Amino acid sequence: MKNSLLIGVLCISFLACNTPKKEKNIAINTVQKTYSIEKIVDELSNPWGMTWLPDGSMLITEKSGELIQFKDGTKTEIKNVPEVYNRGQGGLLDIKVHPDYATNGWIYFTYASTEGEGEGGNTKLSRAKLKENALSEIEHLYKASPNSTRGQHFGSRIEFDDKGYVYFSIGERGDRDTNPQDKTRDGGKIYRLHDDGRVPEDNPFFNEADAVKAIYTFGNRNPQGMDQHPETGEIWIHEHGPKGGDEVNILKSGANYGWPLISYGVNYSGTKFTDKTKMEGMEDPIYYWVPSIAPCGMTFVTGDKYPDWKGNLLVGSLKFNYVELLKLEGNKVVDREKIAEDIGRVRNVQQGPDGFIYIAVEGDGIFRIMPGK
Amino acid sequence: MKNTLTILTLSLLLLACNSKENKKTDMASYTTEKQTPLEKSIADGAIVYKDFCNQCHRPKGKGLGKTYPPLVGSDWLTDKRTESIHAIKYGLKGEIQVNGKTYDNVMSPLGLSDQETADVMNYIMNTWGNTQDEMVTVEEVKSVTK
Repeated sequence: MKNSLLIGVLCISFLACNTPKKEKNIAINTVQKTYSIEKIVDELSNPWGMTWLPDGSMLITEKSGELIQFKDGTKTEIKNVPEVYNRGQGGLLDIKVHPDYATNGWIYFTYASTEGEGEGGNTKLSRAKLKENALSEIEHLYKASPNSTRGQHFGSRIEFDDKGYVYFSIGERGDRDTNPQDKTRDGGKIYRLHDDGRVPEDNPFFNEADAVKAIYTFGNRNPQGMDQHPETGEIWIHEHGPKGGDEVNILKSGANYGWPLISYGVNYSGTKFTDKTKMEGMEDPIYYWVPSIAPCGMTFVTGDKYPDWKGNLLVGSLKFNYVELLKLEGNKVVDREKIAEDIGRVRNVQQGPDGFIYIAVEGDGIFRIMPGK
Repeated sequence: MKNTLTILTLSLLLLACNSKENKKTDMASYTTEKQTPLEKSIADGAIVYKDFCNQCHRPKGKGLGKTYPPLVGSDWLTDKRTESIHAIKYGLKGEIQVNGKTYDNVMSPLGLSDQETADVMNYIMNTWGNTQDEMVTVEEVKSVTK
């Protein structure tokens, strides 16, 4: 009797605890390494974004505001970078060359900027051309408002599809209950523009009065990974949850991903902010993590450099210092593997045009995964 | 024996639980009218903490596993006051020892003002049972250079 009472109390305390736990989780495996890791770029402090030019050189953003071109083992600082608001998670963020860079020369980048209304900063998308080691012809495409002095959730990743659209993410700026579900406000959204910054007329809320017309999806928290699926052409993202509830989502025009009304996570303190993981009209994630891995950067593996990984998704983990390989069957995650264990705080993972996987690590540098021992 | 084990597990669970947010009362007590400069700094620092530190060092300053060191009861924080200010201002990289454990990670500079740095120092040094002999001032933060 006494025992069953204790067990009862025990169960209740389990329930009251709200320690996030995922049912029927796919266990992550550490498999025999079939690759080696070599450092390509040394002495970086927070390499947030990386992209490649046709000459094989790499452009690397440092969160602090520096833009570096890395070519033949040498770093060159690129001048005339707009001033960035380097505070909390904000700074110089992602960078991506236009798919037709060879003909048009456009380089897109996001950063936290103090421009516009209010104290603090918010995320901005610009594009520019590279001339004589400096940015030139800078065009400002989008700036979220209002500014905020909060340190959290600027997003931001940039991706292009093959129809001439550019997508980018802006996190909810630490204002969970105000921004993500309100389509008249910036933050907690994925945006879609024509590559020249015009708002597409077929954007889902283009004809909705007061809505921010550039919005493509809403109810997002803080997406810091985005890549186009090599076969379906869909744009995949992942986003940070709070404590638990990081998600992988596939973008659908006008979709609501539910933050903070539905979530698999809880507050950092362990308290709940919602009981719901599903609601009508809101999207279920393709996959979610409990506990959080703090995902940052993602890339589909294509080409033949890594036959075992081909067609699957790589996601960096800031928190657990590895890269996660999500094995896919269609849109379903069927297996998980740890890659590059203990490499450090993974800020970004990208496949270069040479087909190799590159991993950017905070306080360290950029590494390349070489197949074979 | 079995019972003792159960009770032990139970207590541990309850301790680990923290399902109530006690922080609110902490903060509220500092926002009364007769705030001393230290109380005001701690209250302001609580807001900075929630914004900039919470995710890694966690709401009760316990840190996270072998990745993020604890602030609660941290000997590094008490013994290395200047280094702590330096870490908040300019970031921190490499091996440190906290309460006998080795942590080897990276903390980026946070972009806080000197006032915010002083406030968050006062908050972490006076919360969760941590105590401080002397308040951190803006002047002290200013004096810590790269």
